[in-house]
Amino acid sequence: MKEKMRKLGVKVRQLCSADDFTLTMYYNQDTHVRFAQNGITQHIDGENLVLNLEVAFDDQTGTASINQIDEESIEMLVHNAEAIALLNMPDPEYIGTDGARKLRPLNKQAEATVNLDVKEMVDGIELCVNNAIEKEAKVSGISDKHIYKNYMMTKKGFQGYDERVLFSHSMTMKKEGVETKVSASVQDYSQFSMEQMIKQLNDQFDSLKEPQKIEKGRMPVIMRPQAFLQWLRYLAWTFQLREAEEGTSPYTDQLGKQFFGEKFNLYSTVDNPILSAPLFTRDGTPTKNISWIENGNIVNMQCDRFYAKLKGIEPAMMFNTVVDGGDDTEKEMMSKVKRGVILNNLWYIRPVDMKAGEWTGLTRDGVLYFEDGEVKHSVTNFRWNEILHDATKRILGLGKAVQVEHNAIVPTVLFDDFNFVDVTTF
Amino acid sequence: MKLLKFALDTAKSLGADYADIRVHHNLNEMIYLRNMSLKNTSQRDTYGYGIRIFLNGAWGFAHSNDLSEQSLIRTVKRAFTLAEQSGRIKYNGGLKLAPERSYVDIYNTPYEIDPFDVPLSDKVDLMMEVNKTMLGFKDIKQAMFMLGISKEEKLFASTLGTMLEINTMYIEPTFRATAVTPHDSQSRSYRNGGFAIGWEYMEERDWLEKAEKVAEEAIMKVKAETLKGEERRSLILDPMHLALTIHESVGHPTELDRVLGWEADFAGISFATPEKLGKYQYGSEVVNFVADNTLEKGLATAGYDDDGVPNQRWYIVKDGILQEYGSTRDTISQLGNGLSRGCNRATNYFDFPINRIPNLYLEPGQEELSPNDLIEDTEDGIYIEGQGSFSIDQHRVNFQFGGDMFWEIKDGKRVRPLKKIIYKSNNPEFWNSVDAICDRRFFGLFGVTNCGKGQPGQVGRMTHGAATTRFRNIRVGGSQ
Repeated sequence: MKEKMRKLGVKVRQLCSADDFTLTMYYNQDTHVRFAQNGITQHIDGENLVLNLEVAFDDQTGTASINQIDEESIEMLVHNAEAIALLNMPDPEYIGTDGARKLRPLNKQAEATVNLDVKEMVDGIELCVNNAIEKEAKVSGISDKHIYKNYMMTKKGFQGYDERVLFSHSMTMKKEGVETKVSASVQDYSQFSMEQMIKQLNDQFDSLKEPQKIEKGRMPVIMRPQAFLQWLRYLAWTFQLREAEEGTSPYTDQLGKQFFGEKFNLYSTVDNPILSAPLFTRDGTPTKNISWIENGNIVNMQCDRFYAKLKGIEPAMMFNTVVDGGDDTEKEMMSKVKRGVILNNLWYIRPVDMKAGEWTGLTRDGVLYFEDGEVKHSVTNFRWNEILHDATKRILGLGKAVQVEHNAIVPTVLFDDFNFVDVTTF
Repeated sequence: MKLLKFALDTAKSLGADYADIRVHHNLNEMIYLRNMSLKNTSQRDTYGYGIRIFLNGAWGFAHSNDLSEQSLIRTVKRAFTLAEQSGRIKYNGGLKLAPERSYVDIYNTPYEIDPFDVPLSDKVDLMMEVNKTMLGFKDIKQAMFMLGISKEEKLFASTLGTMLEINTMYIEPTFRATAVTPHDSQSRSYRNGGFAIGWEYMEERDWLEKAEKVAEEAIMKVKAETLKGEERRSLILDPMHLALTIHESVGHPTELDRVLGWEADFAGISFATPEKLGKYQYGSEVVNFVADNTLEKGLATAGYDDDGVPNQRWYIVKDGILQEYGSTRDTISQLGNGLSRGCNRATNYFDFPINRIPNLYLEPGQEELSPNDLIEDTEDGIYIEGQGSFSIDQHRVNFQFGGDMFWEIKDGKRVRPLKKIIYKSNNPEFWNSVDAICDRRFFGLFGVTNCGKGQPGQVGRMTHGAATTRFRNIRVGGSQ
């Protein structure tokens, strides 16, 4: 595929008369097996190659994309991108492309993932369904295999090629009032164990019998890694230097200052082989280790190429998520406070007030009530409205950081005074 | 059509019980302007096909963008293998397809001016003027305009003998102004969603007047106060706001695949289970929800769905009572012998079609009633315009919504603007608290083009509608 992409790049270079261009090619080959209520309901397979060309005549830009690679289509791609640019108004924020950049060597892709076939994926689902039948429950979920290849070149000489393979599996088991979910994604399928995942599902499921209702209000929460990661994804969305400096985010004037709790450390890394880390970001910036928050201090924020140039800094993007953990077990966390709840997951997180950094959401996949260091019973779900950076100032404990997704390592966190504003009806 | 027939013949020769093929050619234009900087001016052209094979009660689906005979054979065989593998773990003893007849037809979205024929400079000039107008206000620090235009040509053929040519189009302008003060920032948007219509939609409106109003209200909002605690009050919601509440609290819960638990792992399930049909008091007696995939300018209006089932109109809720679902051939058959309501739609050629919300609207009231009449008749309430924060649980029962603009109502008068307002309610409390709906003159449509659903995720589109409506005794207050 790399050679095929390179040749397509040569063709575009020959045809393109613009002052500058960036050609990006995305190839993906995906298999998805979706199951619901103990049976397979969808089964999808296919591949696709998309060519995206952004050209510039001076500072007039235009972009076109296609998913056909015959000569006529390539000519059309170049023609359309150039026609848009020539008819367009100048963009005062356009900056030219980069030249050659040194990239890290390509990671070797896991053979076990590449060679995973449909039969084996269905075998895995069969284990999950048989387990659910044994528990007189219903399981629903999806198994996915992805192969991604990505090539980028610019008129000024940047060339980058990257590959990634992934296997992911998620499943929700439900019986009457109890429903809970587990999910995982890994680069190397040989490191994945369906048996272990079923055990995790069963452990969660068994802990959630007959949920009781308790009052809303502020209380300590032990947020398990999957739940915390859901919230952090939204932090990444808003953690932009430009928005902060324009006054529309909570981070205005906070770069270089302590704004989060001192126990909170967040960074992206290229050094951990189990974490996926692209060789370059979508704007062609080579990735490197970068710290975002150190002991609560904001040390870097995400920034695109235009704004980075304006500020005289390097562009930066949160390409994976690592939060430092600690040594606390859940048992130890429970003993640090009188009472509280343990959350498996969060759901439907949306901003309430972008400037304040306030988010809302619900709990999902099971909530456990604890008191005097022990889990007492499961409880029904809550709605919460909470400010993330404020919540990190109320961290009382951190568990060991674990891999939650292919691109995230996050610990269990004990927050004090988490703001539950409503109890739900189930 | 010859190649489509060849693919279906290949599927039949392999032993498929049913097969269909969709060839999609999608053309999308996107222009994104932020503070007078054209961040994206692009055209995306996507072409390919997907083949579904139904074998012994199980599906297999494969897609490709290579329309050669060899590729078609390969893709059909792949879909067949997947169906065989799916059949190892059958859903409920095997999926069934509701009966359907064959159709040979052509559908075209009615429009006067093809937006792809309009010069780019005309579009960009208009957007620049709107942005410039909003940035002309001192406190407006961010102005955004996004224009999306989409044209889809689809060929569909099935082993039932159906042969369809479907050509749809939609256009969606959205702009937003953000006002910034030393301690706050608030936005106000013009957002009516997309409509299945041509460029004439853009020519018929005074965009600069709307831009001024958006900017003025963003400034008014950033300087406004909020409410303190949560109290039960009356809520008056405008059609643009209601489109979102209808979508989340009525549209999704009445998708039959969710009711059956097919979305249990991600989007969730539904409280509106089949034993409630014909009995459940979803709303007060004045509440009627109509599903209508024949709706003019509706984004789900396409002649037929991706099962080859014709578009239809039916009641989801009549006189407050839950009547029916939005369904597909493979979901409705789980409830007995009914026929599909034609809600199976895929976004792209590489997507498996899924049970989608139809065009769905709240019928306007029968009595003559205006929004001003409603306000005059309200002692203590909040009037909300447009859409803001929204969040709902995975059973579609408990929810919290914000809005885009808020007004306090006291003793029948709109007394002051507010900001950071949220309300909490649930099904069935919310729709049962409706006591008045404005008449047809105040009915408005809103097109949703970003409805995320499914694994792998797809972004679907449909249209909602309502006239301004009053809800009594809802928990409303300021955020933190």
